[in-house]
Amino acid sequence: MRLAIAGMGWVTPLGTGVDSVWERLLQGEEASTTTISEKFDARVYSGFRVPESALNGISHPRLRRASAISRFAAAAGLQALESAGLKRESQNFERIALIFAISNGGVTYTKRFYHEVVGAGAQAASPLLFPETVFNAPASHLAAILGVTGATYTLVGDSAVGLAAITMAEELMANEALDYCLVVGTEEIDWLLCDAYRRWRLLRAAPPIEPFNKRNLGMILSEGAGAIVLAREGFATIERAHPGGYFSRRADAAKILKRILCDLGEPDIDFVISSANGTFVDQAESQALQAIVPNALAYTGKPALGESVGAAGLWQIILAAQGLSSKELPPVLHVDPSIRLRLPLSRTPIPKARRAVVLSCGLNQQAAGLRMAIQ
Amino acid sequence: MAQGNRQETTNNPARVAVTAAGVISPLGFGLAETLESLRSARDCVTPMMRFSVTQCRCKTAGQVSDSRLLASHPQIPRSGRLHRASHMMIQALQELMTQQPEFEPELTVVGTTSGGMSYGERYYRSLNGAGDLRHAPTWIANYPAQKPVIDAQTAFGISAPCQVIANACASGTNAIGHAFECVRSGRYQRVLAGGYDAIAEMVFVGFDSLQASTPEKCRPFDRHRSGMVLGEGAAVFSLENLDLARKRGAPILAEIVGYGISTDNFHITQPEPSGVGARQAMERALERAHISAADVDYVNAHGTATIFNDATEGKAISALFKGVPVSSTKSMMGHSLGAAGAIEAVVCLLVLQHQFLPANINFTAPDDDVDLNIVGNEARPAPVSIALSNSFGFGGTNASLIMRKLPPSPTLERTDEV
Repeated sequence: MRLAIAGMGWVTPLGTGVDSVWERLLQGEEASTTTISEKFDARVYSGFRVPESALNGISHPRLRRASAISRFAAAAGLQALESAGLKRESQNFERIALIFAISNGGVTYTKRFYHEVVGAGAQAASPLLFPETVFNAPASHLAAILGVTGATYTLVGDSAVGLAAITMAEELMANEALDYCLVVGTEEIDWLLCDAYRRWRLLRAAPPIEPFNKRNLGMILSEGAGAIVLAREGFATIERAHPGGYFSRRADAAKILKRILCDLGEPDIDFVISSANGTFVDQAESQALQAIVPNALAYTGKPALGESVGAAGLWQIILAAQGLSSKELPPVLHVDPSIRLRLPLSRTPIPKARRAVVLSCGLNQQAAGLRMAIQ
Repeated sequence: MAQGNRQETTNNPARVAVTAAGVISPLGFGLAETLESLRSARDCVTPMMRFSVTQCRCKTAGQVSDSRLLASHPQIPRSGRLHRASHMMIQALQELMTQQPEFEPELTVVGTTSGGMSYGERYYRSLNGAGDLRHAPTWIANYPAQKPVIDAQTAFGISAPCQVIANACASGTNAIGHAFECVRSGRYQRVLAGGYDAIAEMVFVGFDSLQASTPEKCRPFDRHRSGMVLGEGAAVFSLENLDLARKRGAPILAEIVGYGISTDNFHITQPEPSGVGARQAMERALERAHISAADVDYVNAHGTATIFNDATEGKAISALFKGVPVSSTKSMMGHSLGAAGAIEAVVCLLVLQHQFLPANINFTAPDDDVDLNIVGNEARPAPVSIALSNSFGFGGTNASLIMRKLPPSPTLERTDEV
């Protein structure tokens, strides 16, 4: 079954709003990093953060105590509905399903909650914080804001979870009782996450992210949200969502990516939105791209926007839709031009582009893909 | 998909068979031990052993024995590094694969709420100066929610893509329900579905902070109920296109016929007091199954024993069903969160196979505000053709699943077609 994108919303460290962020990417801009520190440890990290001003105008009683991850999601979700022309006051929200893609969840409140427990014992545990630590808290808030009374799902996974959410949306939309599916991917940064990914040898101390560099120098974490409204008609068609699979060892990631590209690939794939982020992912994707679609352009937005994990898949889909509709791709930043891949090193027109693949190799063993087309 | 449930996915939806199942919970390791515990109405809630609960109101939980769990599958490489949740998933899947060695799912859908949370706790405590961080990479690698699912699949050579649903305490039922819809629509022929959760201190303390857990016995639907106790475990099912399963001669343990989901948006931790969300989920499952409430022979309630849940669910059940036997098996094993819906689906499966009603133990007196036919304290034999299982969670997420005993002969058709 083919689904179409009817609307999109984007909250990123480079700005808010699809057109605004896209224009800045086309100009070759990148988000600025900020320093992330923690009271109990001297180590500091760099991260791409969403400025507080980006969330101006987003208010609802359910968001008063909500964590950043929920507010990012609400902002992106409402943008997507608006761009699809769906009005909150007149829409039948029984006919809309809500799917959230989450990776690390509300880590800031989780840390605060547990910090109080560790520091002062169980009696210090906050009943206000605890509900916000639950993975489906962001989905619950947006469902309440919109009045969704039917299917609300939160999927958890790595940076491929956004694409898994699209697969699930396809499954849900097989039922004609649904008109739309709002898919939201969201992530918030915390020092704890940075430290965890550093110990896992996936994080770089400071920017830039250098994609496809053989030395796997590491990524910089990012935060924000991406949202798309899926319908049966829209400006871009998701021809096929590939559920992908998992790899037991990082060395096996290329194998599954090749299989995904083979399954999705057609001779007329114009470009691939890659998930290259400066880690082992890059070499796996590079091998797969060279083997299966050597003539397709490959673009990754992660050097400019960072690795937003739970939101990353949705960001990639937005990039693909924008590339197809605007017929150009932004430059890939901080890349070695000698790399054996077709990369847009400057703002690159693609006037005949009609079909793109989104490829996502997660940091925790999952991989997925999808193929998108525009008339 | 189950949204509204008023329109069909296809003109001729596939029927969905359960061809194998596996379970581990405080009730026991495997279906046989679970059945024995259910029949004897065993109270499997014990004093908390995993961490200090001196500052908590609640001191008990339903717990899976570590010594037995970790000894169950030493053949798995680096099994010592895996989280307990991975061991539970492996144990449950091992039982399923013993029944269906050739089972090759095209998709896996599993529910959880906490993933490898206790490894996250160790990491955080160590960062705070209380421990050694040498093992931090192992803890971090085994913390993600999808890891136990991938570990279990890897152990049995299954390569299916995984969807991990985290819809709070409804996750397990949502996972099986979504898997049911995936097979029913014809998109998939074989799906592995289930749920898991392992007790973690943070979650235990969290429910205690909400005063949702009890210092006493867990007494669902009782006038004197005072809260829940936590549990843990894992359960998995192989769901298959019924016709194809029959063709290959697979045993059909039961048929899943209905699934309903609703969101009530009332409060992040409390259900909508009138029970509208719970009722919608059950109504949608009944509509999906093309049966009436009168066809249901047993309801396995969410029944956490909190004041709010049981009052709300009780209203919803009594409004829909007249006199149907109801029990909450959480009274015996605690609330295993993301695993609960899957374990309770196993309970329903055993009820259908062995024709009995499991007990709602610790039951002393009915709640005057709830008109329910509670199966109090003792399991009893009963003819059961159709069982419904409820799961409700934080965030106002509600899910119901309906399973039925398949008539012995394939010539007997489903209820709505007779």
